[in-house]
Amino acid sequence: MGRPGLNRRQILAGLSGLTVAGSFGFAALGTGADALASGADTRVRYWNLFSGGDGYNMIAMLDAFRAANPGIDVKDSTLQWGSPFYTKLAMAAAGNRAPDLGVMHLGRVTGFSPGRLLDPWDAGLLAKYGVREADFNPELWKRAVIDGTLYALPLDIHVQLCFYRKDVLKKAGLLGDDGRMVPVTSVDEWFDVLKEAKQATRKGLQTIGMWSADQNFQWWFFVAFYTQLGGTWFDDAGAEVTFDTDKATQVLEFLRRHITDGYVDPGFAGGAGAEQFVNGGPFVWEGNWSVPVFDSAKLDYGATPLPPVFGKRATHAESHAFVLPHQSDRGGAANEAAHRLAAYIVRHARQWAGGGHIPAYTPTLSTDAYKKLNPQSEYVSAMDHQATEPKVWFAGSTGILAQRVGPIVVSSTMGSARPDAAARRMRSTLTELLAMKNPMDGRTAAQGGAVA
Amino acid sequence: MSTAAQTRVNTRKAARRTSGRATRRPWTPSQIVLTLLGAAVSAVFLAPLAWALFTSLKSETEAVEVPTHWLPKDWTTQAWSAIFETGNITNWFVNSLVVSVCVTAVVLSVGALAGYGFARTEFRGKGFLLGLVMTGLMVSPAVLGVPLFTTVQQMGMVDTYWGMILPQCAPAAMVYILYKFFQGIPRELEEAAFIDGAGRWRVFFTIVLPLSRPSLAAVGIFTFIASWNNFLWPYMVTNNPDLMTMPNGIATVMNSYGIQWAQLMAGGLMAGLPLIVVFVFFQRQIVTGVAHTGLAGQ
Amino acid sequence: MTATSAQTVIAPTRARTAAAGATVRRKQGFQHGGWFVAPFLALFALFVIWPLLRGLYLSFTDANISGDATSFIGLDNYREALDDPLVWESLGHSAYFTLLVVPCITVLAFLLAMLAHHIERGKWLWRLCFFAPFLLPSTVAANLWQWLFNPGTGMINHVFGIETAWLTDKSYAMLAVVVCTLWWTVGFSFLLYLAALQGIPAHLYEAARLDGANAWHRMVHITLPMLRHITGLVIALQILASLQVFDQAVVMMDFLPGPEGSTRTFVQYTLEEGFTSYRVGYASAISIIFFVIIAAVALARMWLLRNREEGGR
Repeated sequence: MGRPGLNRRQILAGLSGLTVAGSFGFAALGTGADALASGADTRVRYWNLFSGGDGYNMIAMLDAFRAANPGIDVKDSTLQWGSPFYTKLAMAAAGNRAPDLGVMHLGRVTGFSPGRLLDPWDAGLLAKYGVREADFNPELWKRAVIDGTLYALPLDIHVQLCFYRKDVLKKAGLLGDDGRMVPVTSVDEWFDVLKEAKQATRKGLQTIGMWSADQNFQWWFFVAFYTQLGGTWFDDAGAEVTFDTDKATQVLEFLRRHITDGYVDPGFAGGAGAEQFVNGGPFVWEGNWSVPVFDSAKLDYGATPLPPVFGKRATHAESHAFVLPHQSDRGGAANEAAHRLAAYIVRHARQWAGGGHIPAYTPTLSTDAYKKLNPQSEYVSAMDHQATEPKVWFAGSTGILAQRVGPIVVSSTMGSARPDAAARRMRSTLTELLAMKNPMDGRTAAQGGAVA
Repeated sequence: MSTAAQTRVNTRKAARRTSGRATRRPWTPSQIVLTLLGAAVSAVFLAPLAWALFTSLKSETEAVEVPTHWLPKDWTTQAWSAIFETGNITNWFVNSLVVSVCVTAVVLSVGALAGYGFARTEFRGKGFLLGLVMTGLMVSPAVLGVPLFTTVQQMGMVDTYWGMILPQCAPAAMVYILYKFFQGIPRELEEAAFIDGAGRWRVFFTIVLPLSRPSLAAVGIFTFIASWNNFLWPYMVTNNPDLMTMPNGIATVMNSYGIQWAQLMAGGLMAGLPLIVVFVFFQRQIVTGVAHTGLAGQ
Repeated sequence: MTATSAQTVIAPTRARTAAAGATVRRKQGFQHGGWFVAPFLALFALFVIWPLLRGLYLSFTDANISGDATSFIGLDNYREALDDPLVWESLGHSAYFTLLVVPCITVLAFLLAMLAHHIERGKWLWRLCFFAPFLLPSTVAANLWQWLFNPGTGMINHVFGIETAWLTDKSYAMLAVVVCTLWWTVGFSFLLYLAALQGIPAHLYEAARLDGANAWHRMVHITLPMLRHITGLVIALQILASLQVFDQAVVMMDFLPGPEGSTRTFVQYTLEEGFTSYRVGYASAISIIFFVIIAAVALARMWLLRNREEGGR
């Protein structure tokens, strides 16, 4: 505490003084750093929600774009996926601080007040940069058009898949001559497959992982199988619930049976399902974004769309799409550059497909480079059998619909509610949601929801 | 308060004396049992941290291997190098530092002035304002997050450093603590200085502040820890990963990469270790700081 | 130590303060202190009072996140909140969490403090071990326990040889959050208890020992009564903090409300309504309800404290 203490104290005081000064300087600069960037040429501000593997792909594609278009300066910001992203985009558009270009999920576009928070695309400009309606899957394009105007430019389709391990399935005799899983067309066939796969599975591992306790995944799976049964949600005017509780019960019983028959261990009801798969579990239902994860674990695996157990083929699909957030003075060079950038990325989607997504731009799909991608080429057909959420304002990725109905699906799958009771609850929740006013414009789905 | 501080100083001295005596005392059976018990409990407390460390030294595939095991079979620093190469972790570290340092500096200066003002000066409406501050004790971003957010949004401070810093700079609790402390300083000291012709501000800076160093240190340490570890507010007010602080970045960005436990653990240790290391060196100050701040609520 | 030395320096000055006319100057010295509190009040008004008033105003409107086109709708939001099952459910979850955490933390912190206080060797080491988790950010603690509770690869099930689905079974999910919270925050209350234990005058124990009281009697008749005050403080602080639980729960559940919504806390619900459903008006209304609850708890504590003090005297 004596002499050395004094010295130490002086040093500490000096250091902390410097830190405080530096911190304030930094904080002051931080707000203005954006303004310091170059303003010489056309500048496109672009917000996206791609982190992780997707993020690297996007950055690489942006770099390629910059190299090809030296006159355009792209200022990209990666924001966090999920509700906060949409909140921020909505606020920026409402406050007229919107970026020139943004990314969002296609299912969210309807609820995002097209016309008020989003600006329409200029078809002429898009055509100039080589993007035409004919190059897209018609289903996808239809979802991007609202009241006859194009509000979103689809980038990709991402789907729920049934991943399988070839090594385990081979032992169980479930692999065809082409090295792919044998086709399944009914509920009984599916459970037979599971039964045989179970016998070939190492002890202590579950047969299939299906996120049984996750409200998002269970909702997506429900949407897929409910669509396979031909189920509907609302009438076209958005005034009446047409949800079929019998079909829903059938789907819920199907999901539940995986647990009661012992193919799903409720102990691995979350993300641990993928870990079980890496350890040698034969099946897991996951989004196609798991492709890079399983690739890096060097597994011998394949992936098909969710099995068409109810006859009709359908698997849950969502899409990333480019949007033009509302700017009161949209137009000019920045707007044109935004069109050019979006068109460029949509057309050069081969690299994007490495993240597991199916490119929305169909010419990419027929290239040899894409056909060589495995397992991407195995599930590319999923884009023709999309099961999507209804086109209402409360739907879409992590939207209110999924938040309210997802937990009900989980309660049935996990066994805390009977499937028929859960189906009835889903119906009444849908009725409530339909009567709810969209907080952005104060209108219900029927009043403002006659979109399409 | 100063009397309380003094008794604590005295007891600390007394404790040191007794422990000094204790080292010379032989191991009694009860001491052996207690020490073993303490060691066992400590092991339980430290085990999660050790588990995190070992996980971070495995490869991602080994981390999720079944059955699980404590020590890595192949020691690798791949997760650690990955978070430095690919993540924004250094960015987040700097952001955390900037935010915490600014918050602490502002809280200390503003809080000391206000605490002194409330304790020692007279002005119109003081009673009312003091009551208002007491109300403020019950407001936090957790309680009034949405209105606070829209306020900051109106000011155009969403996704800025100031948006993260300033709302953390009005902690009624710290003002209240300092207020009670200043009340405990004998008035005569200041009165004497006034008579000698010193101004209010000089008295504050030359007499009051030096006297209150321990209390200021306590409040400063507590504020720094709270701000460094704050998650909710930065989470609400930032979306841009370049601006995120450590706790926010770890929880939101790293989590979204999928199952990469080794990297997640490495990142978590990076976020947690600085304070723990600081704690090892400044243990006495931090312990008295936290205890003092907490006890002031009595 | 600084305090004592400063006092000895000042003491002679004080001796010189006999002058009679000094009163006037003295009074002047203490006046016009408004400037001292002004900077704080400015920040306080902007970031505490204004949001509070604004929240109150918004709670009577149908405001959305974009901030335009709001209209006054009277008490509709409050009426809806009382009928909203999720309000009651999430409030129940926060209360359940509080009910589990507060007694556990109080007892655990007391036991740890007794242990650390009575072991004669290596005091700093015990203090470090028990307090260190508190220095971690909440999100790191939550990630850590998410990993420990992870089925298949997690250590908890492995060590105890069980197969509990901690994070995905709705009857265990909240318990998992509680366990994480205990480990993470007990250190703070532990320090408070330790400081209080060290503040108990040693002569009390010596006197009791002379009277022939054994260790148990000394604890029941000296330690516990002397710690009553601090126990009240620990409980009050924990109740207020636990009701506002948010971080651990959302991070452990990957930012979802847990299996079948079983860990959706009240704070989480207000944020969902405000930022996912864009219903700022409604979110403000339930925030105001929450503020009233928190304020009621805080006022109840102050009232109890005053009563006890008056009764004690």
